[in-house]
Amino acid sequence: MSTLDDKINEINRLAIQITKDNDDDRLMNLSIGPQHPGSGHFRIVIKVDGDYIVYADPDIGYVHRGEEKMSETRNFIQNIPHLERPVIHDSTNIIYAYSLAIEELIGINPPRRGQFVRAIAAELDRIVYTTYWLAIYGIFLGHSTMFMWPTGDRELIIDLLERLTGHRVTHAFSVPGGVRNDIPYNFKEKCLTQINYFEKRLKEYEDIFYNNPLLRQRTEGVGIMSKEDAIKLGVTGSVLRASGVPYDIRKVEPYDVYDEIDFKVQYMKSCDTFARAYIPYLDMKESCHIIRQLLDKMPDEGSVREKIVGNVKAQPGETYRRVESGRGALGYYIISDGGTKPYRLKISTGSFRNILALPFLLVGSKLGDMPAIYWALNYWPIEADR
Amino acid sequence: MGSLTPDFRFGNFVGSIVWLVFVILALVTLLILPIIFFTLFYIPLPEVDGEVLTPYLFFSMMVDPSRTLPIVQFFVHTDLFRAAVFPGFGFAALIAAATIFVERKLLAKMQLRVGPLYAGKVEGIFQLLADGLKLLTKEIIVPSGADKPIFWLAPIMYVSTAAAVVALIPVASGWVVADVDVGLIAAFAILGFFPLIALLFSWASNSKFPFIGGLRALHQMIAFEIPFFLSALPVVIMSSSLNLSDIARSQNIFWNIFILPINAFVFFISSLAELERIPFDLPEAESEIVAGWLTETTGMMYGLIQLGSYLKLYALAGLFVVLFLGGWSGPQIFPPELIPGAHDSNFPLLQMLALDGLYNPVTVNGIFWFLIKIIVVILLMLIVRGINPRIRIDILLHTGWYKLIVLTFINLFVVLMLIYGGIIGPGGLISTR
Amino acid sequence: MNTATGFIKALQSGTKHIVMKRFTFRYPEEKLKFTGDGYQFDPKKGVGIAGTRGRHILFHDKCTGCQLCAIACEGIAEAITMVKVDEQWKQNKKSIMPQIDYGKCVFCGLCVDACPFYALYMTNDYELSAYTKTHLIYTPAQLAVKPKYDGDVEIKMG
Repeated sequence: MSTLDDKINEINRLAIQITKDNDDDRLMNLSIGPQHPGSGHFRIVIKVDGDYIVYADPDIGYVHRGEEKMSETRNFIQNIPHLERPVIHDSTNIIYAYSLAIEELIGINPPRRGQFVRAIAAELDRIVYTTYWLAIYGIFLGHSTMFMWPTGDRELIIDLLERLTGHRVTHAFSVPGGVRNDIPYNFKEKCLTQINYFEKRLKEYEDIFYNNPLLRQRTEGVGIMSKEDAIKLGVTGSVLRASGVPYDIRKVEPYDVYDEIDFKVQYMKSCDTFARAYIPYLDMKESCHIIRQLLDKMPDEGSVREKIVGNVKAQPGETYRRVESGRGALGYYIISDGGTKPYRLKISTGSFRNILALPFLLVGSKLGDMPAIYWALNYWPIEADR
Repeated sequence: MGSLTPDFRFGNFVGSIVWLVFVILALVTLLILPIIFFTLFYIPLPEVDGEVLTPYLFFSMMVDPSRTLPIVQFFVHTDLFRAAVFPGFGFAALIAAATIFVERKLLAKMQLRVGPLYAGKVEGIFQLLADGLKLLTKEIIVPSGADKPIFWLAPIMYVSTAAAVVALIPVASGWVVADVDVGLIAAFAILGFFPLIALLFSWASNSKFPFIGGLRALHQMIAFEIPFFLSALPVVIMSSSLNLSDIARSQNIFWNIFILPINAFVFFISSLAELERIPFDLPEAESEIVAGWLTETTGMMYGLIQLGSYLKLYALAGLFVVLFLGGWSGPQIFPPELIPGAHDSNFPLLQMLALDGLYNPVTVNGIFWFLIKIIVVILLMLIVRGINPRIRIDILLHTGWYKLIVLTFINLFVVLMLIYGGIIGPGGLISTR
Repeated sequence: MNTATGFIKALQSGTKHIVMKRFTFRYPEEKLKFTGDGYQFDPKKGVGIAGTRGRHILFHDKCTGCQLCAIACEGIAEAITMVKVDEQWKQNKKSIMPQIDYGKCVFCGLCVDACPFYALYMTNDYELSAYTKTHLIYTPAQLAVKPKYDGDVEIKMG
């Protein structure tokens, strides 16, 4: 089962066979269901032949809330608290794209200092999300120490974000026009101390987790997705970069102040699960460099928010803006008809695109590889369901 | 602000205490006193030093020191004491409980957190008691369609098999519950019973995830039994006996680990696989197959299986110490008399405090060194848990069937060469006989 | 030899942490210290002042009963309703003031952003648990009380 087309044909054949209800006796149906310590808010229906998976079907939709419909009855500022709930840790990034899109529709530009503060909060949120993801990856593979260390270090960054925005998670910080409040008085020193400490901790993660021979044996050469397959399947974010495509939206379509910051796009050519697990770690190191440059270059004076009236009307039209979040490209497509509420708002999330690759990676691999492959696709169930 | 607490009434408080006293008195009168009367009527009392041991004699002996010590000495040398208290079940259960607590605290320290803290005044010492009481109060749910006799018997079989292995481990010279001449083979035979229990229990649970877990347990334990036996083979060759106490005594010149380092390493890894500890805890892999073959255990059945697991941990660590680390040998650091001059004195209280007649310095020394070595081995097993992820089944089978067997054969050939070269073994340069 | 060095490094890293200092708080006895007084908003400049978003505080001598906070919350959590109060203030002709239901509030702070009269701020108080749901509805008189929060422990990193 080497090429993508072969796999597609095999899965279609098995899907028809299952609906016709004449199953092979050797196959066992497993439901890695929502009530499972290894699945999240999500179900995978798997057929196993001994230890090999022959059919996998992700079953999403358990946490669908109707975010897009709800946003049609609320005005632009009132949309922010409920739109950031799909990813509560990474909430600045999911509202970042919304703010950029609404700013384009209203026709305002946030002041420069506001753009810097927004970018700092976005990078800190990226670190918060990625440490949580890494913690869950550790526990899926049975490594309980790798669950506790990132969760503990994440607490310090969350404490920092609480000084900045007032909330530990779900900050509701970036609004159309800038950010809601200015930085507190000793924020720069505290931020630099925490970032230095965090970089020292990153070295420990490498020692105990990424260079551990048992982890390498479990993840190297597993779940290979070649470069052409990755582009054909439409995956995004760290999954795409692990297959050798150096695509990062902060470099390709820079938004806000990212064109003034000097950072490298991290990508690896080995296309396997280890690369997908290692790239978020490298991304975190890059985020630390980015935060230092942002703190350096931030202008000392200036307002952080462009003042707008609460019930502002947008110009009729449509816009699409996207942002590189912890999981990949996160875009908003907003159509406005000239009123104070959006006519149609569509969120396009990275998780929803990445999960499409799951059946093709699971078919042919062993049951023991399922947690490693599944979580390495950087999938956050709530964001995919919205 | 804004909270509502019920009012405290002194009358209600006194009433509840009176009710409690009444219930206790009723229980004692209706249940406990009849039991005492029945035992006194129907069970014949034992004889000590020519007198029948009635309760009055027992209490008077407790108070009079010159007659206490012979009672205790008599009791200490009975079989019941050996099987239930000292090198048998009570001792092993105490070490198992201490291991569970130390494991939680050690793992917590390694993971930069604190571990159990609030149960008991000193850093959560009573946490295990609290957990045991909690498990006792939970309902035991038997899944529908489960095979009831096997389902109920399996945890009990697990604990009894683990206790059977514990019965073979010698703690000091002459202190072993079952001094069998083929002790080592008996230990391996009993250990071979565990995969059967795991498979039967997972089949009787009538559910998919336990089924996969049971098959994995079967594969894992069978694959690692062969390196387990093979790594103990040179030990038998060198000491020319299968009796565990003789093997421990034969290491009085040097410990076996200096000649057999590779075998000790292989034995250690195989015992981790037999115990289903991380990195080998596939049968219980949480993120793939919920809890493996233990999925359907609830309440005290789970408690019994955990107790059995940690008894097995003590037994295998004890086996490691006896085979490779010299058992109970060590420098004598206990004085010949606990309080010098107590034996000849006239005060019976002093004789009792000096444990005269009970205190044997060689035995106590042996127990002390055995405990130190067991603690070191158990700590090593616990630390390995903190730094490794779980292994996958094909890597595990590859390791067990290929790599470990090859390593044991290498060391076996080295030992055989040394024996035929006349360096070790009977009549050699460094003779152990 | 790669596997052996990998294991030895992991072992070193793991055992090093047994003696490192950890920053776990014993919660009820040790509480975290916050800088500042809570989230506030300046309607003239249009920017907020950074602070923790906890319980609200209502200044009775500034609130005019304009209902802008209730209107802002209508699309979000519907936690603010206006109730009639017994007090007579010069700037509050209708004598109505907001009452906040903390069972519904999400602590987003947009009501603070909406108030144009410097009357509604947020404070550091986050310990708001109660035994019944009706105790979670804070009347304007309860909202006017300044909270007493005495956390004083800072996180020390190793």
